[in-house]
Amino acid sequence: MSAGRGLVEVDTSPAIPAISAAIPVVSAAQMAEVDRSAIEDYGVTLLQMMEQAGSHLAEVVRVEIGGDLADKRVVVAVGPGNNGGGGLVAARHLTNRGASVRVVLARPAMRMSEAARHQLATLIAMGTDCCVATYDLSDEELEHVLATADMVVDAVLGYRIHDAPRGEAERLIGYLVRSGRPIVSLDLPSGLDPDTGEASGAAITAQATLTLALPKSGLFTSAGAARTGRLYLGDLGLPSVLYTALGINVGHPFSAGRIVRVDQTA
Amino acid sequence: MTTSPHARSFAEKLGLLNEVALFDGLSEADMAAIGHATTMTHCSVGQQILSPNDPPDRIHIIKKGRVRVYRVTPDGKQLTLDIHERGTILGDMSLLGQSPLPEAYADAVDDAVICTITPDQLRQLIERFPTIGVNLIRHLSHRLQAAESELESMAYQRVDQRLARKLLDLGRRFGSPTARGTLIDARLTQQELAEMIGTTRETLAHTVSDFRRRGLLATTQHRVIIRDAERLAGIADGDGSD
Repeated sequence: MSAGRGLVEVDTSPAIPAISAAIPVVSAAQMAEVDRSAIEDYGVTLLQMMEQAGSHLAEVVRVEIGGDLADKRVVVAVGPGNNGGGGLVAARHLTNRGASVRVVLARPAMRMSEAARHQLATLIAMGTDCCVATYDLSDEELEHVLATADMVVDAVLGYRIHDAPRGEAERLIGYLVRSGRPIVSLDLPSGLDPDTGEASGAAITAQATLTLALPKSGLFTSAGAARTGRLYLGDLGLPSVLYTALGINVGHPFSAGRIVRVDQTA
Repeated sequence: MTTSPHARSFAEKLGLLNEVALFDGLSEADMAAIGHATTMTHCSVGQQILSPNDPPDRIHIIKKGRVRVYRVTPDGKQLTLDIHERGTILGDMSLLGQSPLPEAYADAVDDAVICTITPDQLRQLIERFPTIGVNLIRHLSHRLQAAESELESMAYQRVDQRLARKLLDLGRRFGSPTARGTLIDARLTQQELAEMIGTTRETLAHTVSDFRRRGLLATTQHRVIIRDAERLAGIADGDGSD
């Protein structure tokens, strides 16, 4: 695009800037407190946060898939909680932005969190292809769907899970791992302990991870970093005074962009 | 989880919310009698139980086995909404003052026994078992209040209020009396309970242990026993003292 008269020529190439300053890492308990405070003390709704998370996730998928979503096949693997809800928001954005999206839920729709169900209702109304692993797809169909994907989104489990995955989530993670396809994880690779980065059972090894608001400490241990891939940090737009009140010195991590690259070795 | 009432009704419209407790408080003998007064169907795996083309106003109660409720998309693909077990009511809920599940199908996940009730049969059952009528009235009035109280509950109430309200609700639906109080007979993780009331697991754990300390509830093997429903109801109503 040529610069018009009176416009300053700028370099627009770096799609996602690297973070310029050190960023604090948080434990799962601290993150839970951040979430609680955002909702209870500042009136930020879960749906607002979920929208930010999913919108950023779609953008990270675009970058990781090579720059353009048009006609790319993306499978979004969705767990029953609010991490899954973020995945469902991403599925909407990915669809809007030209990707061919298939949503695979770990659990029946009614067994998902209320906010995730809300997002799912929108996808159903949009006509996005949604199905439940085990019940709506045979094992062979699920394997085929994953094998033909250009990118798989892992929104199965979030930072609140410390134990090894169980039940439907464990099964779905197993399929993702066996597919060998490139994976972008939301918040942290599913199956990782958010504090230690250890995997005590089935766990994802991602090509890239978009973590939200503040990085979880498990992403920086050697075990965690080995599974995280490229690490991005996404802004949830939480009131910054919230961190001050909780004694977390955050600074301005998003001064260069609402999604930033984080170097785990720094 | 501060979903607005509008958002909630939207999810409801799409058949993503659906709960009725019509037969609460009936004895095993009553249930057996109801079984005799209605049509029982034995279904094999994969057999269809419900479809949008069914005659209206029928409800189905799962007596045995598991049933999958699903939607079919315009291009013929299925989306499983829920897996129901024994005791669940399915079907045209307009009879119960609830919008019918749009485009809902159901089939048997394993060998199932289904009891089907027509509107006439329901009327007769209410005459014979007034408890069903009472449950129906309670259900309808609950629905009338639901929109208001949901708004209040999610937007303005404190976590202890929301938890008290949810526990009482679960007690009514899944509760069975024991020597120590009402046992909520449903395995619930703290995460699931936290999500139900829109809080974090940590806050929930803190509130549960607070309730336990105050003698309001006890916990045993992932199940909750309501020790003092009366005080819990006080908290649910927002009594400032507790």
